[in-house]
Amino acid sequence: MTWNGWLQILVFSGLVLAVTKPVGIYLVRVYDGSLRWLAPVERAIYRLAGVDPDENQHWTRYAAALLVFSAVSMLVTYVALRLQGHLPLNPFQRPGVVDRQAFETAASFTTNTNWQSYAGETTMSYLSQMMQLAFHNFTSAAAGVACAVALARGIARRSGTGIGNFWVDLIRGTLYLFLPASFVLALLFVQQGTIQNFAHYITATTVEGAKQVLAMGPVASQTAIKQLGTNGGGFFNANAAHPFENPTPWTNFLSVFAIFVVPAGLTWFYGRTVRNQRHGWALWAAMFVLFAGGVATTYWAEARGNPIHAARGVDVVATATNPGGNMEGKEVRFGIANSALYATVTTDASCGAVNSMHDSFTPLGGLVPLVNIQLGELIFGGVGSGLYGMIVMAVLTVFIAGLMVGRTPEYLGKKIQSREVRMAMLYVLIFPAVILVLTAASAVLPSGLAGRNNVGPHGLSEILYAFSSVTGNNGSAFAGLSGGSYYYNTLLGLGTLFGRFAMMVPMLALAGFLAERKAVPESAGTFPVTTPLFVVLLVGVIVIVGALTFFPALSLGPVVEHLLMQTGRLF
Amino acid sequence: MLDLLYVALTVGFFALMLAYIRGCERLGRDAGAQDERP
Repeated sequence: MTWNGWLQILVFSGLVLAVTKPVGIYLVRVYDGSLRWLAPVERAIYRLAGVDPDENQHWTRYAAALLVFSAVSMLVTYVALRLQGHLPLNPFQRPGVVDRQAFETAASFTTNTNWQSYAGETTMSYLSQMMQLAFHNFTSAAAGVACAVALARGIARRSGTGIGNFWVDLIRGTLYLFLPASFVLALLFVQQGTIQNFAHYITATTVEGAKQVLAMGPVASQTAIKQLGTNGGGFFNANAAHPFENPTPWTNFLSVFAIFVVPAGLTWFYGRTVRNQRHGWALWAAMFVLFAGGVATTYWAEARGNPIHAARGVDVVATATNPGGNMEGKEVRFGIANSALYATVTTDASCGAVNSMHDSFTPLGGLVPLVNIQLGELIFGGVGSGLYGMIVMAVLTVFIAGLMVGRTPEYLGKKIQSREVRMAMLYVLIFPAVILVLTAASAVLPSGLAGRNNVGPHGLSEILYAFSSVTGNNGSAFAGLSGGSYYYNTLLGLGTLFGRFAMMVPMLALAGFLAERKAVPESAGTFPVTTPLFVVLLVGVIVIVGALTFFPALSLGPVVEHLLMQTGRLF
Repeated sequence: MLDLLYVALTVGFFALMLAYIRGCERLGRDAGAQDERP
């Protein structure tokens, strides 16, 4: 580990703190309707879609609108990918995407997962990248934020049953937040050298005299939204490790910073919406504690390197000319600190973009991204999904604290009773159930075992990571699993759908139930949700729920691999 | 043929989720009634 590495992580953390309030203020203006500079476009879309923007929807209608929109857009994407060979903007005559991959890709992009079992530059036409996949990058991100906004409204409501209007939240999030922010970020990427063109691929001659095809395309615009919207699906197979997508240290910083911008701002937005700004900061603090623990562990593990290398005389100590540590699967341009930071941030959030290959991390270094996903990606988290995941955990924390002191728990003036706890528990239990059942099946079925690149505990880690990644709507890969089969494409596609919608529905139900509750004034028995004690308890609940659920599986994967590595065994 | 299966799988999944909304609503109502009991 180097001072330079720590300094970069510190600067990153400071800037995330600095943008939280300004972004939060902007988000308040987006979702309270006070931003009007695109009002004519907005009105035209409502008229065209037949939407009544003044309707205040009951949670059931809000959830149904989300599902109908997602179902239709997923089916359109499936058909468009299958028919890709007959559609324009296809200069290389790419054929239609095969059925199993079209299903998985459509599901994956609809759910903000962006798990990719294909290489973008050799499978997708420019039209598929720019219309189908980019459309979902914008709308799935806006849908995620919409759901978080709906939950915040449900908690803030003093009377009534409505939690807002899904169509208005979706369109305003896309128009006022993601489109302008992506435009600005794409320009910054282009200024730094990220390519943005419709050129034919270039055949170059390398210094050794070999021929190499260099893929071109509209990369900067795709990269901007996939980072800001925590989507993560790369234009290129190598994702953010590709020099045409991520050419300089500045693009690397902008990429990783963009992942946390909206999720951090949402904590401030939430505090303002529920009229308790200090609670918003308490959630931010809990997220930051978990982020700091993760990045410190990954950086330490990767900088320490592999003891087997050290035993064989490889210099693993950092010097002015040698990065030391474990550099396998990492870009020399970015080094260990920026790879560790990127891996932690992309799995804290549900982004999934990568600038290094997590499969090549040391067992403990790879454990952190896996645990981040399995905690529910609520450490700042995916746009919207991070905040609502954290709020569900806050509800559980308050419930547990209420049980401890023997009083009916309250959260921000709303009584938490059986129906709220049932919805919170559904949300918490569905996630590990999907991951563990699918992982267990794949660990014994021949079709599941056939996809592994490694045997032993590392092979189990590959399978566990894949199902955790898709169910958590992360989309990053451990890079060792061959997911291009009917078995994996279908199950991973289904994993993305259950991980998104089977959790969103109870969360929206929670929003609706809380909206119906009359607010009660704070009393001496109300558990304070703005204190360091609350932050500690919240972090404890998140870690304990995650540890109890996933520790047995993790102990058979990365933990045992780490212990065996100490004895000189590799897998 | 497989296209039809994947489309049916997608439609089936979202139909299941729409039914799940009703299930959550009912679960909440039952729990609410339980909370109201003295």
